[in-house]
Amino acid sequence: MVSADQPSAGDVPSEAADPVDEAALAAVMRVVPLGAAVLAGSAVALLVIGYLAIYLLVFLARGMVG
Amino acid sequence: MTDHPAELHERRILGTELLWAFGVGVLIAATLSVIVFTALTRDINPPSNVERIDPKTLHLSGEFAEQNLGTTVTADGGVTVRVIATQFMFVPRCIAVPRQRRVTLRFATPDVVHGLLITGTNVNTMVVPGFVAQVHTEFPRSADLLMPCHEYCGLGHSEMWATVQVVPEDDFKPDQDGRVSCAQR
Amino acid sequence: MRNAERLCLAHFCVAFAAFLGAAMLGAWQMWVRSPLGANIGTPGQYFMSVTAHGVAMAYVLSTFFIMGFGYFVAVTALGRPLPGKVWAWAAFWMAVLGVVMALVPILLGQASVLFTFYPPLTASPWFYIGLVLVVAGSWVWCVLMLVAMRAWKRENPGQPVPLAMFGTVANAVMWLWTTVGVAVELVFQVIPASFGLVQTVDAGLARTLFSWTLHAIVYFWLIPAYIAFYTMVPRAAGGRLYSDTMGRVTFILFLIYSLPVGMHHLMMDPQHGNGWKFIQVLLTAFVTVPTLLTIFTISASLEIAGRLRGGRGLFGWIAALPWERPTVLAAGLAFVMLGFGGFGGLINMGYGMNAMVHNTSWVTAHFHLIFGGSVVIMYFAIAYEVWPRLAGREHPSPAPLRLQLWLWFLGMMVMTLPWHWLGLQGQWRRVANFNYADPIIAGWGPLVVVSLGGGLVLLASALLFVRNLAVLHRSPVPTLQRPLYALAVHPPQRVPAALNGFGLWNVLVLILMLLAYGYPLAQFVIAPSPAAMVHRVN
Repeated sequence: MVSADQPSAGDVPSEAADPVDEAALAAVMRVVPLGAAVLAGSAVALLVIGYLAIYLLVFLARGMVG
Repeated sequence: MTDHPAELHERRILGTELLWAFGVGVLIAATLSVIVFTALTRDINPPSNVERIDPKTLHLSGEFAEQNLGTTVTADGGVTVRVIATQFMFVPRCIAVPRQRRVTLRFATPDVVHGLLITGTNVNTMVVPGFVAQVHTEFPRSADLLMPCHEYCGLGHSEMWATVQVVPEDDFKPDQDGRVSCAQR
Repeated sequence: MRNAERLCLAHFCVAFAAFLGAAMLGAWQMWVRSPLGANIGTPGQYFMSVTAHGVAMAYVLSTFFIMGFGYFVAVTALGRPLPGKVWAWAAFWMAVLGVVMALVPILLGQASVLFTFYPPLTASPWFYIGLVLVVAGSWVWCVLMLVAMRAWKRENPGQPVPLAMFGTVANAVMWLWTTVGVAVELVFQVIPASFGLVQTVDAGLARTLFSWTLHAIVYFWLIPAYIAFYTMVPRAAGGRLYSDTMGRVTFILFLIYSLPVGMHHLMMDPQHGNGWKFIQVLLTAFVTVPTLLTIFTISASLEIAGRLRGGRGLFGWIAALPWERPTVLAAGLAFVMLGFGGFGGLINMGYGMNAMVHNTSWVTAHFHLIFGGSVVIMYFAIAYEVWPRLAGREHPSPAPLRLQLWLWFLGMMVMTLPWHWLGLQGQWRRVANFNYADPIIAGWGPLVVVSLGGGLVLLASALLFVRNLAVLHRSPVPTLQRPLYALAVHPPQRVPAALNGFGLWNVLVLILMLLAYGYPLAQFVIAPSPAAMVHRVN
């Protein structure tokens, strides 16, 4: 039994099909993936910097080992 | 929407993916090169000497007999430490090593899989029955360090550790047999 | 979905029951090894708990969830009934029997060997046989996934296999390869030893066989989360998947590169030389690629959704995303934890640098963060999406779902970040109680307590998760009909056979495994290591 004012998780009923307007998609696709590249690129850059920092400042500082 | 622009669009998408893959590929290669470079130039490797030994006869004679355990300095100045890892103690429980000299640590076990690290250093190895584990290192600073067993070896695992005294050159005095023991503190 | 619904729900119930029990044990373990619980609990109890916790999380939660989710995908993504349902149910009950059979010796204290059970420590044979039954049940699942995909391909010649199913079958194929290592170890070494048929065991060989499984198994756990990233998250966010092709490439790369890398778990072991370790480090570098591809592709997919919702500028699309939707929230939190967990993993695989962290709390932090964090939070999201469709009911409100996800994220970060630091200080693993009187160890106390706080938050989140599912199951709100799987920006019309099946890739897996593990395993046959005496714990 569903009543109109009962909320449900995930989607509001009017967005149930979430139709993507092809024209809007085409417009958006002119910019994408610039934002993603910046976000993911920054994350990976941080990862590499952090990696080198630990390698040089912590690991190598503890002496040669083999 | 005709086919032609869609195809171009898809190719553009894959093009960006390829560009991204190339970029991260370069980063990964660069990072790996750093590792390879230090491995080759500074002799930084995992402990990997692949030397077999029979766990059932360890204690009887040869290198790991009780009288050979601990720190030994040979005539040419080489420092070798021999330790047995067993349920649930290291033998000996304390080892003395010199500061800023190359030390070779050798471990064996007569029973189960153990492992060890020395706190604040890069000394870390598994000790697998059937093999001698060997680590070369230089201890940069004098300190009293912990050498716990870090691989589960049974219910007494939590109590299994040794201590490592890193002593300055002046205090590192071998006796007439070339042995160095821990200072009593 | 008739009858397959009950099948999926049955698997999820076992998975999440094991999860809840294991969460309680985990919290207890953290308490007793902290300064606050210094005199509580014996080593016998502690290591019994660690064994149960590890087996439940690593073998039961994971396997049963993945099987249940796989059956769901096979029906909904392919739009056809599940083939071999009788076999699926038989496999389920066999796996449940296996869980019980393994659990009894654990609780009797006769199997305190932890989920890694490294010989020559040897437990009751029923522990191992129980685990074998769970794995055997999962093999039936693998076969059914392959059968389902093949049947669909026959009915839809030339069509691209829906991405969710492609990923699921990739995972199934990979699991078949993965389990060979541990199966050989158990059947030929450990179980004979535990029955007393042999008195010694080759420990170096056993560790090497287990390493074959130990790394690939984490990708078995991870791929379902990635299936959700590619096929569910873009839809939930209101956008499109940036590239279906890259999804296929990602799953194929995982299939190929998850397996020949297990030796990085043996980096500190004396039975393999540097050359073999380095080869597997190189291959491990390759297995980072599918994850790096994924973070780009999924970010781009979310960017589409965010910009469609009006987000502008370089980062405005992030704020514009519908974060109030649990699936989207879970994905965002998963990516943050993936960043930290992946960072830890890169350190672990760094050849000589592994010496800095091996068997310290850094490793514990890494796998709790990446599996317990990124992957399991996506299991929650999948459950929240899939269970309504199975039960025909809707969550009354998304707020408790979001709260549960946030608690999981916060608890995981608070628990694991101190562990990284403690690991660098030398805090080692699998310890029932620390001697906080020692000056070095005393310094660790405060961070251990912080970490315990995180663990308690996780326990609260685990309880809330189960509560949310229980509420959903009895919810008066019937389920809304809404699509689950995302569309790609360019839904594929045709894909090359290499991206639609696994024949070629199986050959590549074989070649890479021969290269990476061929000699390392053959050496034990050519020249067996001096054998170790079996040490019984029962």
